[in-house]
Amino acid sequence: MDLEANRTLIVAALARIPGGDQAALQTVYRLTSAKLFGVALRILGKRSEAEDVLQEVYVTVWRKAADFDPNRASPMTWLIAIARNRAIDRLRASRQSRRTEPIEQSDNVPDSAASADSVLESAQDHARLHGCLDGLAAHERGALRGAFFDGNTYEELAARMSVPLGTMKSWIRRAMIKLKACLEQ
Amino acid sequence: MTDVFDHSGMSEDELLAAEYALGVLAGVERAAAERRIAGERAFATMVADWEQRLAPWAGEIDEVSPPPQVWNAIAAALPTPAPQRAGLWQSVVFWRGFALASALAAACLAVVIYLGAVGGSQPLVAAIEGGGKRTFVATVDTKRGTIAVLPATFTADATRVPELWLIPADGKPRPLGLLQADRAVTITIPPQFLGQTVSNAVLAVSLEPPGGSPTGAPTGPVIGVGKLTTL
Repeated sequence: MDLEANRTLIVAALARIPGGDQAALQTVYRLTSAKLFGVALRILGKRSEAEDVLQEVYVTVWRKAADFDPNRASPMTWLIAIARNRAIDRLRASRQSRRTEPIEQSDNVPDSAASADSVLESAQDHARLHGCLDGLAAHERGALRGAFFDGNTYEELAARMSVPLGTMKSWIRRAMIKLKACLEQ
Repeated sequence: MTDVFDHSGMSEDELLAAEYALGVLAGVERAAAERRIAGERAFATMVADWEQRLAPWAGEIDEVSPPPQVWNAIAAALPTPAPQRAGLWQSVVFWRGFALASALAAACLAVVIYLGAVGGSQPLVAAIEGGGKRTFVATVDTKRGTIAVLPATFTADATRVPELWLIPADGKPRPLGLLQADRAVTITIPPQFLGQTVSNAVLAVSLEPPGGSPTGAPTGPVIGVGKLTTL
């Protein structure tokens, strides 16, 4: 099934949830849970914790579906943000992030053509983000990756990359400014 | 030196939104950002825009099928279907949902109406609203001195609890008690506040630390207010 068809199905199902339609939530779950489970598992590392978080995510979707506005955001963006935030909440509540080893600052960028799946953003969006990430300095990209994929805090990133906290904050902020400017070109 | 970068093209608010969306904030900074998302539309939009910019990165993460028991747990956790749309105050479906969601509150209301009919005391109601949404619905039984509060679109918060306040004509909030996200709560109004629980007094709900406000006054964000009126 193609991306646009999936997106339409997810949006339509989300719109039925505020009316109390449990089958609609199940449709959203069927279409999106493998992606969101992957996201939670990546941040948390343990299947049992990722399963708990996935459950919280869809109960949150059930309660907050009325907040989703398809004219403002893509459904997967909205769902991924909920999954990342619930996983990060779990991480913050339990302990420090599981990934604390030093971040290599050399350019070991994963293959940007690796993905584009059936429910996420288009391959074009993915390629554009990757093009802009490739334009960042290696240390900036490494710090952003640690935050996005491992759920690291500023403190954890500073420790992993052996720089003072203030330096890490300015790296990340500078990287975000560059990223936005590049994406808006 | 960092100022040169921090203020070239992105405001301090937008940088904070970016940091939240990326996930690097922790502790009080993260909680503060979440409060602003809940209360400030412009800030929430900036966070959503950053989530949109970063989301394609998740394309790198492989899909992993969750085990079937996860859906079973979700299905078991869903409440009895309750409508959550705006404008539900006048809706027949809402009142049916109201009764289903809380036999307690409905029974209380019936008693109030009955007592009101025979005893001359009028029940008071308030729709507690904030951010364009009805968060709670409150019914005061003036005869018994109790107040029943039913959640409408309120969503639980992992770290804070909803607390109900009475704000009479003098504008000073009085604590009435803690509410629940998933069920109706009936609170006995403290005797000293009974005389102020009257038509036109205001009810407000704020988010407080577990156990309620430590100061006796609201310390967290107010997520809804509503005026008491006679039914």
